[in-house]
Amino acid sequence: MLRSDARISPLARSLLRGAPALTAAGLAPASLIQHRGRLVSRRSRSGRTIATILSSVGSRYDHPVPETASVLLICVGAATGLVGSLLGIGGGVLLVPLLTLMLGVPIRAAIAASLISVIASASASSTVNLDRGFVNLRLGMVLEVFTALGGRGGALVASQLTQRQLFVVFGVALLAMGLLTMRRSGRRNVIPDTTLDPGVLGGRLTEGGVEYVYRVKRLPLAFGASLVAGAISGLLGVGGGIVKVPVLNTLCGVPIRIAAATSAFMIGVTAASSVFIYYRLGHVDLRVSAAVALGALPASLLGARLSHRVEARSLKVLMALILLAVGGRMTMQAL
Amino acid sequence: VRHRLLQLEGLIEATLTAGILVSAALLVAGLGLARESALRLGIVLLMLTPVARVVILTVGLLLRRDWRFGLTSLVVLLILASGL
Repeated sequence: MLRSDARISPLARSLLRGAPALTAAGLAPASLIQHRGRLVSRRSRSGRTIATILSSVGSRYDHPVPETASVLLICVGAATGLVGSLLGIGGGVLLVPLLTLMLGVPIRAAIAASLISVIASASASSTVNLDRGFVNLRLGMVLEVFTALGGRGGALVASQLTQRQLFVVFGVALLAMGLLTMRRSGRRNVIPDTTLDPGVLGGRLTEGGVEYVYRVKRLPLAFGASLVAGAISGLLGVGGGIVKVPVLNTLCGVPIRIAAATSAFMIGVTAASSVFIYYRLGHVDLRVSAAVALGALPASLLGARLSHRVEARSLKVLMALILLAVGGRMTMQAL
Repeated sequence: VRHRLLQLEGLIEATLTAGILVSAALLVAGLGLARESALRLGIVLLMLTPVARVVILTVGLLLRRDWRFGLTSLVVLLILASGL
């Protein structure tokens, strides 16, 4: 039995609007095709949209979750969790395409598993980052408000754009951030004068036995980035760190280690604000989610510990390369 | 402000550590023994871990009369609660 559009959940409605974008991003599995501007099941003659499939009773996915070996899923979760915790991006931006395109996991199960993996990665890496004093709690708390609001209201903004507009804007923005991050990879955001007041949201960082001060600049830009990050989180199953970290580091004057650690601290909450809706709708595949989360937990602890040893410039270059790859792919597929 | 937040960091760290350790144990048991109930409990506990740390941060800051950041954290908690 299918519900009418008027009765579908807000998440389902937002996915109905954003569903074609999933195809454009290569996030939708092959069994979902474009039909009259909507994402429909290849096997569905009635042209059921992803929203109606989401709301349907008795049939959770358009195709069954493949019996992929748990060990493989754990390895995939570990790889994305490691990169995610190194850079404070959670790894969802890499995990969703890997699960859908490489392992054939249905898109809703992949998004839900990604959100759970992001929570695992964020929680694990935050235990290390808090211990090292890399998390800026004050900045994180303020930006969390905007991220959580973005998660709630972002789908409404996204629904006003066509799939092409949405992905060209997002893809070009990532490409621009990638180029800017690469260009400024040698630039430091820290000030060696420790007598300087860092302000309410700034802070201090000790590297190689030397204490530095940093100040947060262009705060409205950080608020905007957090809103956008929250908006894309629920739709694409990512934590939003891929937007927040480069903006905080490149444009707002926050050192890369602080930006990554503070982002990792926030993205757990960002993912949590969306994942309960997926859980309530029955889209969490327990085995897939458990396996990727189990891989992400130890790998994220390792990544957070390694990040201390990796040079700030190397972290920025890695972030720039991921931004360019994801942004390029989204832009090319949308054009 | 910095001193008050530093006091809370240890508590948040302990909450996150407890959350991931208990969840991981349940997920390992669930996958190894093919127990759906253990998997479900592990996943739900993991999902609740960030919520628990927001609760602790909010209560901790409000108890310390840090109204500015306590109320900021309360707003995040209310937004999160609206999705539960």
